Amino acid sequence: MERLLKALGDDGLDEFDRTQILKMGGEDEDEDDEESGEEGGEGEGSDEEVEAGSDSEGEDDVEAPQTSDAEGEGDEDEDVIPLDEADDSVDEDAVPMRKVEIDNTVALARIRETIALDSSMPWTETLAVTYPHTIDVDVDDDLNREVAFYKQALHCANEARSLAAQHKLPFTRPADYFAEMVKSDSHMERIRIRLLNETASIKESEDKRKQREGKKFGKQVQQEKLKEREKSKKEMEEKIKGLKRKRKDMLDGGDATANDDGFDVQVENAIADKPRDAKRPKVSREGRDKKYGFGNGAGRHSKQNTRESTDDFGGPGGRGGRGGRGGRSGAGKPSAQRPGKSKRMNSRK
Amino acid sequence: MASLLKSQTLNASKAAQKGKRKADDMDVDQPADIQPKRKKNKQRVLMLSSRGVTHRMRHLMNDLETLLPHIKKDAKLDSKNHLNLLPELADLNNCNNTLYFEARRHEDLYLWASKTPNGPSIKMHVQNVHTMDELKMTGNCLKGSRGLVSFDKAFDQTEWGKLTKELFTHIFGVPPTARKAKPFIDHILTFSLLDNKIWFRNFQIVEKDPLKPNGAPETSLVEIGPRFVLTPIRIFEGAFSGATVYSNPEFISPAAVRSAIRREQGSKYGQRKQSEQDAERRKELRRLEESELAVSKVFA
Repeated sequence: MERLLKALGDDGLDEFDRTQILKMGGEDEDEDDEESGEEGGEGEGSDEEVEAGSDSEGEDDVEAPQTSDAEGEGDEDEDVIPLDEADDSVDEDAVPMRKVEIDNTVALARIRETIALDSSMPWTETLAVTYPHTIDVDVDDDLNREVAFYKQALHCANEARSLAAQHKLPFTRPADYFAEMVKSDSHMERIRIRLLNETASIKESEDKRKQREGKKFGKQVQQEKLKEREKSKKEMEEKIKGLKRKRKDMLDGGDATANDDGFDVQVENAIADKPRDAKRPKVSREGRDKKYGFGNGAGRHSKQNTRESTDDFGGPGGRGGRGGRGGRSGAGKPSAQRPGKSKRMNSRK
Repeated sequence: MASLLKSQTLNASKAAQKGKRKADDMDVDQPADIQPKRKKNKQRVLMLSSRGVTHRMRHLMNDLETLLPHIKKDAKLDSKNHLNLLPELADLNNCNNTLYFEARRHEDLYLWASKTPNGPSIKMHVQNVHTMDELKMTGNCLKGSRGLVSFDKAFDQTEWGKLTKELFTHIFGVPPTARKAKPFIDHILTFSLLDNKIWFRNFQIVEKDPLKPNGAPETSLVEIGPRFVLTPIRIFEGAFSGATVYSNPEFISPAAVRSAIRREQGSKYGQRKQSEQDAERRKELRRLEESELAVSKVFA
């Protein structure tokens, strides 16, 4: 006891703890005195250290009262506390209570027979199928577990199809049968967009990775660039030669001076890298003013945001319907029609 | 006398017929039919929740309501202690099954499934709920189509499993007489028993007309949702009352789990202090007396 008190240190014990220890003190002092001292030390608002210590020693406490019980019975019966009445001395969660297990198979079978459906009912009444295998997969292995469930469902679906054919139950939904579905169309659209975005991002990341790996072979790239430049030069030369030849033919055939402009559009087109295509006509200064300007071309208030202009997509030339649908289709197919800015810049170089 | 007897017998037969006719009205058999009418599977399910459900639980209930056309959703049950009201409610709504979602502490969901007049009831703990709205569940099916119900072989290996299988067939299997049922079969509900828990999945059956029309349609499945895991806790003999006929020994209530975790976290401090004390005690034990040659003794 003295050793124990010393071990507790300067904090000492309250009155409550002391009385508890004295109560326990009659039992085996040599073996269990430290543990019982810990037990005794436990109480409301007692030494935190002791309490925390006894908490962790909860499992030991199970042993302690048991052994003390066994031995105490020999010595002093009055001091022995039976297991279920040891209130403060045993930690609550350390009480070795056995959970009551009930499995009344007889009653279960009887109840099942009571509620069971008539066995003469054809399969079409319940559509219940049993999978002939058990699922023995590790619960934490997500992939294999879901694969096992998938296999179960697939097997049962195929079995059901043959059963349905037997019972003449229509199984497959024809493609033209339209009825309300469990998920709305807008929801399915969102799902589709998400899938598309996923695949697009995967592709992008793969491309970037390839580029990064490509950069490693710098010398190769440089040489390829040089070759490209030479090739383009040659092409230009050929184009000009071709034009000159055509010109010469025309001169031989027709009037020399009439069509001879110094800088013809054709020459310019031939020399240029990207000949301007018919789709993109040359827009004059006036045209640009009208489209993008603020002043007299479009009016001072043409680009203000008002309540009316929020929904009004009607820019020059009825962009309402087209803009809305075009916007949505643009969102639906993010990069299918028009390449993004960087790609356009790069291809222009 | 003879005429009396005759009239008596006539009356008796008439009465018997009358009685028989009354019984006939109840009975399915009618004299006109040659073969006995087969019993039809008539199931109607009443679905309710208690108060204190979260949005996820609510969405799960809505999903079940759209999937199973023979379900009738009812208003929230006020008190969790008066479960005996449930069989009466089911009778009112002309339902012979009940699915009652009980939410405790705004975080735990328990599902009671029972057959209402006197039938058994199962209380289960619902975990890992994923609803149909999640964007990873990409399948779709007809609203009100009758779905296949598929069970694992493990259900047949235990008595409680067989009872559960029977009950789920009644509740989740749509009867053909349901009012909003649609003709084709395009989804399958699977119940698998794994780790003493029931895993529920819902798949859409896709007859994959492959992109190149080979002419060989291969079935594939896409998940529609919802999905959840049920842990059976107890099976009772009556509807929401009665003796326990099965209790799951491996079930630990979620509250106990949480408190065990917190206690573990709290014990770190206690462990440290305890080990410090032990170290001190051991030091004391090992302390030797001052030897003869110690400084204080030599230079006393």
